[in-house]
Amino acid sequence: MYIELHARSAFSFLEGSALPEHLVDAAHSHQMGAMALLDRDGVYGAPRFHLAADKIGMKAHIGAEITSPEGWRFPLLVASRTGYQNLCRLVTQMKLRAAKEKGHITPAEAAEKSEGLICLTGGEEGPLAHALRRGGIERGIEAVRELCEVFGRDNIYVELQRHLSRAEETRNQAAVEIARKLKLPLLATNGVNYATEEQREVLDVFTCLRHHRTLATAGRLLARNSERHLKTPAEMDRLFADLPEAIANTEQLSSRLKFILSDLGYQFPRYPVPDGGTEATFLRKLTMQGMVRRYGAHNQRAYEQLERELTLIVKLKLEGYFLIVWDMVRFCNEHNILVQGRGSAANSAVCYALGITAVDPVGMDLLFERFLSQERGEMPDIDLDLPSGDQRERAIQYVYERYGKLGAAMTANVITYRGRSAAREIGKALSFDPETLGRLTSLVNAWEYKDAKDTLDRHFRDAGLDMHHSQIRKFFELCLKFQDLPRHLGQHSGGMVVCQGMLDSVVPLEPATMPGRVVVQWDKEDCADMGLVKIDLLGLGMMAVLEESLQIIRDDYGENIDLGKLPPDDKTIYDTLQKADTVGMFQIESRAQMSCLPRLKPKKFYDIVVQVAIIRPGPIVGKMVNPYLKRRQGREPVVSLHPSLEPILARTLGVPLFQEQLLRIAMVAAGFSGGEAEDLRRAFGFKHSEKRMKEVELKLRAGMDRNGIVGDAQEKIIQSITSFALYGFPESHAASFALLAYASAYFKCHYLPAFTAAMLNNQPMGFYQPATLVKDAQRHGLRVTPIDVTCSNWLCKLEPRDPDFSVRLGLRYVKGLRAETGECIVNERSRGAFTSIDDLKLRVPSIRKQELRALAEVGALNFIAGRNGFHRRDALWQVERAARNAGPLLETIEEGEFTTHAAAELPLDGELSRASTAKSPLQRMSDEERLVADFHGTGLTVGLHPMGYHREELRRAGARTARELQSMPDGVRVRVAGAIICRQRPGTAKGFVFLSMEDETGIANAILTPDLFDEYDITFIHKPFLLIEGTLQNQDGVVSVKVERVEALSLTRAETTSHDFH
Amino acid sequence: MAFASIHIPDFPVQAVVRMHAHLRGRAIALVDGVPPLVKVVAANPAAFAAGIQVGMSKSQAEQFTGIEIHNRSRALEKAAHAALLDLGWSISPRIEDHAPHEIVVDLAGLEALLGSHENIANEMARRAASLNLSAHIAVAANLDVSIHAARGFAGITVIAPGKEAARLGVLPIEVLLPSEDARETLENWGIRTCTALAALPTLQLSERLGQEGVRLHEHARGAGVHSLVLAQAETFFEEEMELDEAVEDLEPLSFLLGRLLDQLCARLAARSLSASAIHLRFDLGDLFEYEAVPGVAAPHVGKATEKIYCKTLTLPVAMRDSKLLLKLMRLQLQSDPPPGSIVKIALATDPARQRFAQTGLFVPSSPDPEKLELVLARIAKLVGEPNVGSAEVVDTHRPGAFRMIHFASPANDRSSRALRRSHGVVQPEAESQQYRPTTAFRVFRPALQVRVELRYGSPARVFFRGLRGYVMSASGPWRTSGDWWREDAWRQDEWDLDIRFDPTHTPQPTAFAAPAQKSNAAIAPTGLYCFCFDSVSQTWFVRGMYD
Repeated sequence: MYIELHARSAFSFLEGSALPEHLVDAAHSHQMGAMALLDRDGVYGAPRFHLAADKIGMKAHIGAEITSPEGWRFPLLVASRTGYQNLCRLVTQMKLRAAKEKGHITPAEAAEKSEGLICLTGGEEGPLAHALRRGGIERGIEAVRELCEVFGRDNIYVELQRHLSRAEETRNQAAVEIARKLKLPLLATNGVNYATEEQREVLDVFTCLRHHRTLATAGRLLARNSERHLKTPAEMDRLFADLPEAIANTEQLSSRLKFILSDLGYQFPRYPVPDGGTEATFLRKLTMQGMVRRYGAHNQRAYEQLERELTLIVKLKLEGYFLIVWDMVRFCNEHNILVQGRGSAANSAVCYALGITAVDPVGMDLLFERFLSQERGEMPDIDLDLPSGDQRERAIQYVYERYGKLGAAMTANVITYRGRSAAREIGKALSFDPETLGRLTSLVNAWEYKDAKDTLDRHFRDAGLDMHHSQIRKFFELCLKFQDLPRHLGQHSGGMVVCQGMLDSVVPLEPATMPGRVVVQWDKEDCADMGLVKIDLLGLGMMAVLEESLQIIRDDYGENIDLGKLPPDDKTIYDTLQKADTVGMFQIESRAQMSCLPRLKPKKFYDIVVQVAIIRPGPIVGKMVNPYLKRRQGREPVVSLHPSLEPILARTLGVPLFQEQLLRIAMVAAGFSGGEAEDLRRAFGFKHSEKRMKEVELKLRAGMDRNGIVGDAQEKIIQSITSFALYGFPESHAASFALLAYASAYFKCHYLPAFTAAMLNNQPMGFYQPATLVKDAQRHGLRVTPIDVTCSNWLCKLEPRDPDFSVRLGLRYVKGLRAETGECIVNERSRGAFTSIDDLKLRVPSIRKQELRALAEVGALNFIAGRNGFHRRDALWQVERAARNAGPLLETIEEGEFTTHAAAELPLDGELSRASTAKSPLQRMSDEERLVADFHGTGLTVGLHPMGYHREELRRAGARTARELQSMPDGVRVRVAGAIICRQRPGTAKGFVFLSMEDETGIANAILTPDLFDEYDITFIHKPFLLIEGTLQNQDGVVSVKVERVEALSLTRAETTSHDFH
Repeated sequence: MAFASIHIPDFPVQAVVRMHAHLRGRAIALVDGVPPLVKVVAANPAAFAAGIQVGMSKSQAEQFTGIEIHNRSRALEKAAHAALLDLGWSISPRIEDHAPHEIVVDLAGLEALLGSHENIANEMARRAASLNLSAHIAVAANLDVSIHAARGFAGITVIAPGKEAARLGVLPIEVLLPSEDARETLENWGIRTCTALAALPTLQLSERLGQEGVRLHEHARGAGVHSLVLAQAETFFEEEMELDEAVEDLEPLSFLLGRLLDQLCARLAARSLSASAIHLRFDLGDLFEYEAVPGVAAPHVGKATEKIYCKTLTLPVAMRDSKLLLKLMRLQLQSDPPPGSIVKIALATDPARQRFAQTGLFVPSSPDPEKLELVLARIAKLVGEPNVGSAEVVDTHRPGAFRMIHFASPANDRSSRALRRSHGVVQPEAESQQYRPTTAFRVFRPALQVRVELRYGSPARVFFRGLRGYVMSASGPWRTSGDWWREDAWRQDEWDLDIRFDPTHTPQPTAFAAPAQKSNAAIAPTGLYCFCFDSVSQTWFVRGMYD
């Protein structure tokens, strides 16, 4: 029986066009018992190949094609674990020492690590074909002999491929002759590049991308035919009917390949324990110390929980893992890096005791099995949130230092072809012009909701492409075929793997684009699937904001705030939340959250936990939001799904809102163990299969039957579980987020200047644009002052002002100003104030004309010559002169006339200065011009809101302000106008569109029906200012307008921006 | 001294409207590009007002009601430009060809003939209207002022001396055509009109905008100093003749063409130029418009109302021998005669510099290019245009693919080879050099259709040139497929067959046997042939035989 032993997948990046699992599927359908994957210079696709094969009981052989210095490739198959380790080391060696795509391995290096590897002579890119091309059969014999010396005679197979090509057959005849002469075995392969014949088209497009050609100009670079698909054993038998031993040898060689990927030999690093103890005793000691700190010495419940968890941790041999995460948290704490564990780790009391998480799972009665269970046999997943930016990088570099360059690495992120990227690449190959491609790709919009008309076909027509044209049709087909194929390897945002010993013997390592980083060839999921322990060090914008807020408060207010000791029941915070005044607050600032807050009326911390979790697809799809809110408002009785579930659902008023609840429901209603319940969640989770879901559902029903839960109650429970498993939010996760939400609310309510400055310094992040954040802060009484080179730093900062602080915008908000220029300006200023624009230009010589213009345009140079300095046009006038290099001879000529006094006025140190402080002949900017300049130059204005300039005319048009709407009764007909700051069409809203409109008094919300949206879509999507008319809905303090009529307003040319399509 | 500037707004649109009078007054958008990627490139104010934007796709533009969408025509623009020059020259010999849509006419001395400046401007407008052009005309003592005023003011504008700055003042600075950088600076300064620009101090402006600032400032003040650059008369040579009686036969037509060609060549000779192409256009008394390009089959489709026949004679070397040109044109017309009687003849040339007599000291002697071209034209008449030239191998796996390229002079040939190299034509693989079979191969062009009987998937018997052959041994299939993204995708299996023919077999009168009867005697009793099966048409062919 033939076995395919030389196949490439799409993980050979542009040299294969099938996913590994599709190759496995094809091999399985051909009834092959095994198959080998040899991707180019790596084992990128090996985990997916192995797992897919393992699932159906097929044997997955691993290998790779390794590039030689001459460009041909060694096709290597792994026979043993040593062979695999050698292969990984060879790949790592070549990758780490060379630029991307440039590495190679010499025969001498291969010889050093040849144990456990079997080498084929290859197809047209193999060593034999290369030798035959260069020197005929004599050189071919020599090349095969060299291979025998490198890998040993017993590990060489002379490979034959038949793709119905005369030239290849000529080569085959030479190969057979060489094999006979050297007494080496023949081996038939098909040099597979794709699973099915149709995938040749994708490979041809890949070839064009690789060679920067189009299909029309690629000529013979394209495939000669479509014969490189995975052929059936019968087809291969027919092809090699004259050489049956070449077929028979495939089975014989397959039997020699003992290694499979589950035999990786990965070991998690051991933590160096002090004083001769064990990891287990050290972990126990740290945990118990933490327990006393967190719970006090006599909390029996906490003690029992910790004991239970520690027992399981020791049983699963995970002590080292917990210690290593603890060690990282310790490092962060010691270096003032804000850190917080989240995700399911917050279900663990051990994590809480060790200071990894800040949520008390005992107090909140969280389910430990959601984090760790014996049944699952999986590594736990601890995510650490760190401030995005430099602080997170410090934590990552600590891991590298601790475990060595070859002991730790980032996980990869496989970037796949999606709608836009695929369309762009295919369009290029089909010779479409860039402008059309740009238009097409921009039309592949990101609406979450897709209505029946929102098809790819429609996008094509919208882009002016005729679907009846054959090339366009082919373009369309290729776009579909490209979806999800790997494009290149990126670096995961925070996932790290560490290993006892050398990680490069477990998985090949590559240099990341970012200096100082090393990345493994597998993505996060593959690492988890292969049992590699992964720690996610995630950058969170809000953590950076909190950390910076703390720093600013320390520096400017002189107060030290401990985030762990914030007052838990701050009335101001809850009053603010109940009014939905939450712009800028973590997780509770979106329009949907704001529309829920006045109805939920949070009064205590747990309400924030619920608030964070309730506006999620799970509760929305499961129709849990309204019942919960009604029960909370006392408008509906609290009834549980079943009396036995009352204790589980009591905290959420009988409505399941969290994943932990569904796990407990399964445990109580159907008698599942904790691990079985977590399995259930996974069965319904993202990687669900129909078969597995059915099995679990049957088990669930059987359990409920046994417990006497039947009929409607059973159906309701099944319904809750199925809708929640996929989209539900874990309570522990919600609690971690709620802590951050509370902290952000605390800072906003009590330290608004510091919080605003920190928010502005960490953009982009959150839901709103900086322009909205500034306006919101101003409405709360904060004074925000404009950018000024005489006092602005690169970042926004506080300036003392009675009675509080004002925020001075930083130079970072000047569009087009480079960070190094900004820093240089600040440094120079610290040596002495600038006396003029010329002085600035002389002292910051690297500043460019466009940068000077940008500074002048936004008024940042107005006060450079004193407080009664220029207006913006004066500055723009001066800038044009300053930016022109007059040369030393004319340096002293001022404003067009030679000034004999100029030399006398020069500074004593002899420096030449063109102290041009004269006013310009230009007119001062009008309000409109200033507004346009502000938005064009900084994206925001600290002056009046654009709508404020037109209030009178808007009043004449009958428009109300956002604030006025708050006090108007439900059901009245209103008009309101504003700048659009957010457009949303959520997947769960059946095509309804939500608009947020801002004016000088606040934010108004509007809802559009799908029909109205269809009618006015261009107006809604493209017009920045709208006047809408409709019925006011004002219920429970939630105010919105149901739109019936819409009109675009032409108020200003200012380029306001909005946050769309989420 | 006075100058009149004539500015044609929305020039590409007007060029089209000029030829299609029924479009006057309609909202029009012009599209351009290679189908299906066709976009709006110009429109008139009515179309812009309706929502049309430059850059829209044709299908987007078609969604607007009441918009006439037409293809942009550079030929019509060229003709409109020529008409604009004609308009200028009809008034004065001293004109400046400022842009395709702008000319300046020196009015010196015209008052005596045509009256006041207003009268002259009115006369220009009248003549422009007679050419189906709507023009902005401005008269001023300063040449630049007249240009800027014509750009900025609609209709007729006469600016009295000394009033230049005041009149130009209201115009936007865009009429001065500042560079992008200067425009951005002026926009930043809030300078939007010529008045505002003129008010800036010159010296300080020059410090900021350099010489361009000075130029713009002068122009804004109406003080530009720009001498008239006289237009070179007629770089596009055209002659036309309207016939009193329609002509149908070639002989009288040749007589008329000869006269026109004599005139054209004489004009070319006077300017030391030759023709690199001759454009022939007939207005027909009936039938359709179509454009014929040598080498491409002329589609007999078009607008029945136009009744125009066009033909272009592209010459490999520039020439101006009217007799030779007439012979070439006659040969072209004989192979592709006009489909109806001719009522108007227009001949135009693309002028070019004269050909060098000697291309190089060591260039081997070759036929005189003019004579060679004449011979080729005669051959093309016999065998068809696409079948003349030198074969060039195409970079593709498609078996036997080649294209015919026009014979070129040795110098041109060298450059075309270099060009092909620079375009990345892939050279044959080294591998195939090493292992390519050395046997010679006779290609049958076109490949002959044959009948093949298969046994176990391999050819067993073939019916070929009226003979029956037995396949003694077969090698194959050698499979190629490609161009899957095009309509003419192919997939072929080639077989190398050792065939022994059956001498006793009596040929059957089959569709493919008949034409080959005569050559049966030449067929050897055995032979090694290359057969191929076209999977698309499900047909067997014999591609050729190995020697």
